[in-house]
Amino acid sequence: MNKIAHLALNDEGFVFDPTTGDSFMVNDTGLFILKKLRDNTPLGAIAQGICDEYETCLDDAERDVTDFFGQLKSLSLHPC
Amino acid sequence: MKKIRVGVSGINAADNPGPGTGVARSLKEDFELNVEIIGLAYDAMEPGIYMDWIVDKSFILPYPSGEGDAFLSRLYHIKESHGLDFVIPSLDAELPLYIKYAEALNERGIRTFLPSMQQFKLRGKDLLSEVARKIDIKLPKTVVVNSPSQLEDALEKVGLPAMIKGIYYKAHRAYTRADAHQHMHALAAEWGFPVIVQEIVAGDELNVVGLGDGEGQSLGHVGIKKIMITSLGKIWTGVTVKHEKMLAAAQRFISEYKWRGPFELECIVRNDDVVLIEINPRFPAWSYFATGVGINLPSRMLRRALGMPVPELRDYAAGKLFVRYCLELVSDMEKFQMAVTRGETL
Repeated sequence: MNKIAHLALNDEGFVFDPTTGDSFMVNDTGLFILKKLRDNTPLGAIAQGICDEYETCLDDAERDVTDFFGQLKSLSLHPC
Repeated sequence: MKKIRVGVSGINAADNPGPGTGVARSLKEDFELNVEIIGLAYDAMEPGIYMDWIVDKSFILPYPSGEGDAFLSRLYHIKESHGLDFVIPSLDAELPLYIKYAEALNERGIRTFLPSMQQFKLRGKDLLSEVARKIDIKLPKTVVVNSPSQLEDALEKVGLPAMIKGIYYKAHRAYTRADAHQHMHALAAEWGFPVIVQEIVAGDELNVVGLGDGEGQSLGHVGIKKIMITSLGKIWTGVTVKHEKMLAAAQRFISEYKWRGPFELECIVRNDDVVLIEINPRFPAWSYFATGVGINLPSRMLRRALGMPVPELRDYAAGKLFVRYCLELVSDMEKFQMAVTRGETL
């Protein structure tokens, strides 16, 4: 979680890792998830938040969150 | 303030740029210092000679070969004919002479701020394992080869592909045993043994430029990641980073070895692993990047060396972008003519 807390985010979805110099783009949902992770929000609550924000079902939200976590891990940004 | 005449070499700001113009520019940007930059060039076509907003006057030097008699004589001539208070050598090939004769130069009023010869030899790739251990970072699997008969054993230990490196300079990637033998012989013919066989490490290249005061304290350091490099492997764009483990290693390098002068650590970073690839005992060609983010290392070094106040060290921001660019200038053939015929410019 510490690594995510150090990421620099902007509202346009540009993400910069000041430790490694890596940068990447995320979409609105990805940005939503990263902001929640920085607040130490549990996975379940993040998924529920996506449901509320984007009016989608919980199953889809949980799948999207899990998939996004996998992408973060591939960048050595372990969310938990 | 009395004018300080500072000789800076490596002003070949070409496609394989030397550190000199970045060092010179950094000194000029300390507006409290009254610095005159004396370009110390080896070729009349070194661009720094013509960059008159950075380099005030230039001299052509003989190559720093042999015992260095001609080289030293030239420096003494510059001192006597024009004035030279301090020299910042920026090229690997000249460092051994400057270090060897630092005391002699000092007696003639030409000061330097350089590591000792023992410190300088730490950059030898046969000693990197000890350095990596002391500063608590990793080293790729490395075997030192002292004769051709040892290469096969080394390749068994390291595996292929492997890097085949000279003790101080040059490195080649070997994909096959035949490659490895060819590179080893070429390096041995040019630089002698030992030759280094090293594992190739995957990861991001992160570098640190730093400055030690010779007493174990840091005068500043900045970490960067190269984003874009040229076909010659030189940085074109980069970004400042704060990789704690790598910066801590730089700090330990300074304190463990009481390093004196500038240095660069070249590392490969993979997750939390920091692997030391090379130590350069001088400013790198990108050192102006540190000045640009508020850590003017050449200026801090000059101030420290001359006993002048050194400003409090500031922190730098990660995420600052470095962009190298090409810019043309128009000078006069007369300047080139003077460099060629007289070995100095007005």
